[in-house]
Amino acid sequence: MAAFSRRSLANYAVEQLLANQSPAQLSKYLAAALIASKRQDQADLLLADINQELESRGRLANATVTSATKLSAELRKSLSSQVKKAAKVDQVSLNEQIDPSVIGGIRIETANHTWDKTVARKLSEIKGGI
Amino acid sequence: MALPYPQIASDQASGIGAFNINLRAFLFQLLTFVIVLYIFKRWILPPLTKTLEARRKTVEESLANAAKTKDELEKAEARVKQMIAEGRASADDVIKGAQDEAKNLVAKAETAASAQAERVLNDAKDQISQEHNKLREELKGELASLVVLTTEKVLKTKLNAKEDAKLVEKSIEEIN
Repeated sequence: MAAFSRRSLANYAVEQLLANQSPAQLSKYLAAALIASKRQDQADLLLADINQELESRGRLANATVTSATKLSAELRKSLSSQVKKAAKVDQVSLNEQIDPSVIGGIRIETANHTWDKTVARKLSEIKGGI
Repeated sequence: MALPYPQIASDQASGIGAFNINLRAFLFQLLTFVIVLYIFKRWILPPLTKTLEARRKTVEESLANAAKTKDELEKAEARVKQMIAEGRASADDVIKGAQDEAKNLVAKAETAASAQAERVLNDAKDQISQEHNKLREELKGELASLVVLTTEKVLKTKLNAKEDAKLVEKSIEEIN
């Protein structure tokens, strides 16, 4: 089997998704490809590459949102809209995480961007500035 | 005064007899004297003269030698005095040179010691300054940590869900 890069495999996956390929079927193909090239341990990295490629093409941003308290539906909607504009993508998928250590505010991480607006981050900046 | 021998007395009354000298005895004595004189001159005087001459020569030589020795002694004393003077001058030069060298060495040592002391002082100042800066930075760090920790505790206590929602809303608006 010819060697192929993880990046090219990610591009192929994105192309297939945009061509309405079934995600379940595509997942099987990708898993087979990783096993065949003995790179099973790179599954997470491949998913990250796919996310990055989708975001770069302006199609989808998988955003991990961390906050100290649970976000309301209104805030989630507002957030989704704002991330669409900021990341310049058509769709946004939010994955919420509750972490009291951020104290307050919000942190959004996508494949290509990170916005850290938490109180913990601001305190850290103040500490570094002193 | 009347003599016991009137004839003789009459003979002696004139000429040599007037001196009352016995001619025969006189001649005998004269002959004896001549003989003694001859013996003296023949056997005693020459060696005596020779001895005296030798003695005189010895004395003259001794005197000459003494004079020569005296001259040499004077010359030697003069030379000794000159050598002493030269030695003293040389010793003075040596002492002066040694004193100058000692002064130079002391001056160099003082300069070196002064430079080293200054270097040590500067090093100590630098070290103190570095320690001071390090302590100040550590203190600032600790103070910052303390301030942040206190603020964090206060915020955790005071920041409720409603206020956090406002904060999140504001944070969302800042995303671009």
